[in-house]
Amino acid sequence: MYGTHSKRDMDIEYQSQVPILRPSIHARRAKITVKFQDLYGFTVEGNVDDVNVLNEVREKVREKGKVWWALEASKGANWYLQTHVSSTLKTSLKFSALVNAITLKKLIRKGIPPVLRPKIWFSLSGAAKKKSTAPDSYYEDLTKAVQDKVTPATKQIDHDLPRTFPGHPWLDTAEGHAALRRVLVAYSFRDSDVGYCQGLNYVAALLLLVMKTEEEAFWMIAVLLENVLVSDCYNKNLSGCHVEQRVFKDLLTKKCPRIVAHLDALEFDVSLVCTEWFLCLFAKSLPSETTLRVWDVLFNEGANLLFHVAMAIFKMNEEELLTVHHVGDVIHIIQRCTHQLFDPDDLLTVAFDQIGFMTTTTISRQRKKQEPAVMAELDQRLRRLNSIKADDEQ
Amino acid sequence: MATSRNKNMNAKLVLLGDVGAGKSSLVLRFVKGQFIEFQESTIGAAFFSQTVALNDATVKFEIWDTAGQERYHSLAPMYYRGAAAAIIVYDITNQESFERAKKWVQELQAQGNSNMVMALTGNKADLLDARKVAAEEAQTYAQENGLFFMETSAKTAANVNDVFSEIAKRLPRLQPAQNPSGMVLMDGPAQTPATASCCS
Repeated sequence: MYGTHSKRDMDIEYQSQVPILRPSIHARRAKITVKFQDLYGFTVEGNVDDVNVLNEVREKVREKGKVWWALEASKGANWYLQTHVSSTLKTSLKFSALVNAITLKKLIRKGIPPVLRPKIWFSLSGAAKKKSTAPDSYYEDLTKAVQDKVTPATKQIDHDLPRTFPGHPWLDTAEGHAALRRVLVAYSFRDSDVGYCQGLNYVAALLLLVMKTEEEAFWMIAVLLENVLVSDCYNKNLSGCHVEQRVFKDLLTKKCPRIVAHLDALEFDVSLVCTEWFLCLFAKSLPSETTLRVWDVLFNEGANLLFHVAMAIFKMNEEELLTVHHVGDVIHIIQRCTHQLFDPDDLLTVAFDQIGFMTTTTISRQRKKQEPAVMAELDQRLRRLNSIKADDEQ
Repeated sequence: MATSRNKNMNAKLVLLGDVGAGKSSLVLRFVKGQFIEFQESTIGAAFFSQTVALNDATVKFEIWDTAGQERYHSLAPMYYRGAAAAIIVYDITNQESFERAKKWVQELQAQGNSNMVMALTGNKADLLDARKVAAEEAQTYAQENGLFFMETSAKTAANVNDVFSEIAKRLPRLQPAQNPSGMVLMDGPAQTPATASCCS
């Protein structure tokens, strides 16, 4: 519709043609830092070992593709779209849907091949269903209707366009900025309670790189904010985000008490590093393929996955974290880890196998418990600020 | 040196200010000596550390560079809690950002630690033609509120290191070590409101 089709097709072609990176013999010897482009065109800095890991990941992605093609051959194309167990189905069909759902869950945890991502995300997240309830021309009409409007949200969006993954070969071009602008502006009008929240720019940008069209990227944003994530994460006082931070702290205290006790002693609040993870869905912290692997599971299993991943990052660094005594060192350890997690399986294995089970009910109960506390705290701050103003006016 | 333990300290510092005022650029200039036209927007906050040498002492700043968008302000207490110093940044070409800076000052005065060293910084001082906030106005405000004031340019580096050095000098434990260094500063009521070098 907006000419992004050809670009997207090109991207996929480009992905399949990315040459295997071969650091020179000198680089190998010197262990120097090299800059290279990853699967999605992001420039990454790392050492030769990182390059090797990235090459292995590419190989694994290719191998995984074969599994998916084989399943398509045996179960039929689009088999993964028929995993919802409906009560009207006959028992035998229900069973096969269930089997498919279990197979799919396992497969998705191992990663969706990049070429299948747009289709599978769009369907499993509920974005396709959401789109189908709106008129066909909804996105086109919306973008046309709002393109010349100026609001605080559009001003902020314009300000952030060149600041969203600057230097990316497509996102940081006039075409990339225009597409990102349309998606974010359209959403800011769809939900005026959210409008535009910084952080969404990174999420939308990565969605644009993955999805086939910006219209699909728009619906992915819609389903994320309206259905997948907890509500009010991005609203005017980020209350949902505050709740998630508190829930996360409670869960971490249960699962990793040693880390929490140690960080408490340093007066280090885990939200200092986690806020960005939850608001950008790791897009700003993890390498691109690792982020997208997290999103693969997010769209199939829901928002609780974010807790698993965040906890895994702490868990992976437990021993080292316990040895340091400065806030700066804690952050350094965490950031070094997240920036270098080029192999998504390193992270996801810990997230699924070493964190232990957390039921949805437990987490929901925690959220319910924290909500009033968060609202009271936000309210108190506002009242304090207002009383300053009142004093001023006297 | 026997007293070195007392002379090397860590200090938590927080940067607050309106979106796009140049908080991250100031930090990047101070920490890495770089300037990038389009800095990635900060989500939540970003952490940096940098050490300032001050005569025979050092101050290691642990810097929290916060996100500027209004709704992120609800997260700010987490970053300014326990901070020894704050830099409140506005953009000299944007009056609104100056108003926002005043609100930050009020919030810190009401909530922060009473010993907190506060600096008011008018950034983008290289964009003289687009100036909307007079240096004198900011200077007067700073004096009335017990802050020290400087105009900076993260782009040209003017006064950037000086803001941090001045904060380091004013931190309570280092006061005795203070030594006039001949910098042109616009602090204290005794001084004439001579503008700093970048905007003269």
